[in-house]
Amino acid sequence: MNAARWALLAAVLAVGVAALFAAWPAPAGPEERVERIVAELRCPVCQGLSVADSPSESARQMRDLVAQRVAEGRTDAEIREEFRRSYGDWVFLAPETGGPAALMWLAPLLLVAAGLAIAWSRTRARSPDARGSVAGVIAPQPPPAAVEQLRARVAREEAADL
Amino acid sequence: MAAAVGRLRAMPGGLGNALVIAALVGLIVVLALGFRRDPHDIRSAAVGKPAPAFDLAALDGGGRVALAQYRGKVVVVNFFASWCVPCREEHPALVRAWERYRTSDVVLVGVLYQDSVESGREFVRRLGTTWPTAIDDDGRTALGFGVFGIPETFFIGRDGVIAGRHIGPIDEATLIQGIDALRKTP
Repeated sequence: MNAARWALLAAVLAVGVAALFAAWPAPAGPEERVERIVAELRCPVCQGLSVADSPSESARQMRDLVAQRVAEGRTDAEIREEFRRSYGDWVFLAPETGGPAALMWLAPLLLVAAGLAIAWSRTRARSPDARGSVAGVIAPQPPPAAVEQLRARVAREEAADL
Repeated sequence: MAAAVGRLRAMPGGLGNALVIAALVGLIVVLALGFRRDPHDIRSAAVGKPAPAFDLAALDGGGRVALAQYRGKVVVVNFFASWCVPCREEHPALVRAWERYRTSDVVLVGVLYQDSVESGREFVRRLGTTWPTAIDDDGRTALGFGVFGIPETFFIGRDGVIAGRHIGPIDEATLIQGIDALRKTP
């Protein structure tokens, strides 16, 4: 395995570990839970704003409801379900994960996988052991006669101080 | 992008061409479906489900207005506010519908939405609202019904299930049609 492939593996590993670390659910206090839930709820009277970002009265009332439900000990899923009952999937800024929408979530991963496959195959194509020698990669040497001609020309032009 | 497409086309056995065509066809299908949808047509999740129960203070200060007390009747719930101009426009239609059905098994309930009690009382007094009206103080009733923006009117059948919903100012014909359809069903 050549250096390029090692670098590719290291990059994939680093991104994977970072993504896992970022996505790992951290234990959250009540206020963090409220923030997390309202950041994913769509404000019904706004154009594409979350409840967390909207200063509207409706958003404030939704936030109050979420805070109350958290204080009552409801789970995040139960609270989301309550909003889904009245507003449907529309109320969530992130699209649903099941059904045909799953394809949309998978598409970036598939693209990354395809990119990695291309990178993998190209690193093999450039490696010396695959080509047998590095000669094909470096420009061929000009014949000795042509080199002599070029040297003579350089000497001439230097003498003429061009 | 052009370079990427060029590389794809250079792939062996026409596979690249097929991929480019498949991607274009997919894009066209997605756009065609997306643009055919009316962005104002927000399908309510509340329709077809039991109406969320409410028990609110009456706007006139006398007692409470609860959905449960109208069980077995056809209930029309209208969300309104004094600051809402279309609510004023639709008011005469509500008055006529109420005059037509008030002696029958139909109830019209007004729910004051994001408004002060004083303004709400003034609105009701000036326009002559004679049907029961209630104060949705913390907005929980509106959230439960999935209200987007008022005026919004919900038709609830005798079984307590929301059968229909009208967004925006409603007219008399729509009210009569919605109510009569529910009165026919036992």
